[in-house]
Amino acid sequence: MFLRLFSRLVASIVRLGRRGCSVIEALGRASIFVARSVVGVPSGEGLRLWLRQMHFVGVLSLAIVLVSGLFIGMVLALQGYTILIDFGAEQALGQMVSLSLLRELAPVVAALLFAGRAGSALTAEIGLMKATEQLTSMEMIGVDPLRRVVAPRLWAGFVSLPLLTIGFSVVGIWGGYLVGVQWLGVSEGSYWSNMQSSVAFFADVGNGMIKSLVFALVVTWIAVFQGYDLIPTSEGISRATTRTVVYSSLAVLGLDFVLTAVMFGGL
Amino acid sequence: MTNSAFIEVEDLHFSRGGRAIFRGVNLTIPRGRITAIMGPSGTGKTTLLKLIGGQLTPDKGRVLIDGQDVHRLSRKALFALRRRMGMLFQSGALFSDLDVFENVAFPLRVHTDLPDAMIRDIVLLKLQAVGLRGAHALTSAELSGGMARRVALARAVVLDPELILYDEPFVGQDPIAMGVLVQLIKRLSEAMALTSVVVSHDIKETMSIADYLYLIADGEIVAHGTPASLDTHEDPRVSQFMHGEPDGPVPFHYPAPPFYRDILGADPTTTTRTG
Repeated sequence: MFLRLFSRLVASIVRLGRRGCSVIEALGRASIFVARSVVGVPSGEGLRLWLRQMHFVGVLSLAIVLVSGLFIGMVLALQGYTILIDFGAEQALGQMVSLSLLRELAPVVAALLFAGRAGSALTAEIGLMKATEQLTSMEMIGVDPLRRVVAPRLWAGFVSLPLLTIGFSVVGIWGGYLVGVQWLGVSEGSYWSNMQSSVAFFADVGNGMIKSLVFALVVTWIAVFQGYDLIPTSEGISRATTRTVVYSSLAVLGLDFVLTAVMFGGL
Repeated sequence: MTNSAFIEVEDLHFSRGGRAIFRGVNLTIPRGRITAIMGPSGTGKTTLLKLIGGQLTPDKGRVLIDGQDVHRLSRKALFALRRRMGMLFQSGALFSDLDVFENVAFPLRVHTDLPDAMIRDIVLLKLQAVGLRGAHALTSAELSGGMARRVALARAVVLDPELILYDEPFVGQDPIAMGVLVQLIKRLSEAMALTSVVVSHDIKETMSIADYLYLIADGEIVAHGTPASLDTHEDPRVSQFMHGEPDGPVPFHYPAPPFYRDILGADPTTTTRTG
């Protein structure tokens, strides 16, 4: 009895060790992968490929990101107004909406939407190229798929998410204005002037953009690596697509806490 | 030089997922000839091509192409070597975001600085050779399986390689497409003095074009020789394969416990797969 328990314990320790090793191995593979890919800074022909990916990854995500930004801005204004009015502080609505969006909601929500809309598509596309031997045939033609396929997508994601985040904030602030000023009757002057006096360019807008850049790197990296590293079967593709969304969402939320603690938490 | 070896595979060992796929394979592929590598499904024929192309690394042994050890080359040198080879994939592996013309033009665009007009001429010439000049504007989704493979063939030869690797070129083709492919492989090989390696299990088609055959089974070369000599080979493994007999040294049944025990339920937890 005791011996059996002991051998089970040993087996689970072995399993844990093996799992740990495979995680570290995957991290190593992912690092080599990204290091080899980012060297392919788009130039010449690469620039054309990059622009094409900017369209697929960035422009086509524009609708979902902007519409979400509008609604989130409107909800923020509505919720904020009902709380602030109790304190007679509804003039501070502009400040509340803009700081929430710039510091927190725009980078995070845009990154989550981006992971769902563009990240999963990147994984599935690269995975399908792998499954249909397109990546292998490219290698056999003597073209490095990391440069030709992965690098443009990586750079497109890296550039487009911060731009989408800016769009999200702008539309969100406008949504807050529509609800707060046009509908609920907060004074237009105080909405904008409070915002202007309380939002610092580097501390608020800048830090928000840094967050967004970090998220862009993480989400795109996870997406293209999951696509490149998957098992080329239909089940493998569906699993990798799910992993992309789950891992990048968790990574975004976890990193957001760390970054917020460093930027605004006085760490 | 025409009869010297172009590819030499020496004592190749390779295993995947704990299963040994090759246990000491030796073979020589002469320059300018069509050499076929045949064997039952699942014996690792495609894996062998991937080892030759440097996409997989062997556990032991080496592959020399034109005197260069494929697995000791730097990434850059390997890509340079690959420019001298073409490979035809089982699925064709055309790039789905490009049309037929651009697929064939792809190697030219990335490896040469030729002007557009010249690229156009070369691509149309190669497409003419595979009979698909008229299809140059189609997307890869509009092609039938046989057409896709012919386009892939045009792409594989567009840089005028010295070596071309065919991975199961006849699989899943109707008789007409098959005939076209057989004739194309033969004609291209002769016209361009190509060294060709055909991996296949379609005996009749492969025998009709190959100059020399290697037969793989159980991770080893079990026989090699000219098509005529293999046809009359006495090894039962060879004759079973060459004449397509359903049972023999390669059993019809997947390994399973005794039939009566499964049926009579002596051990209900045992699951078997037969056939």
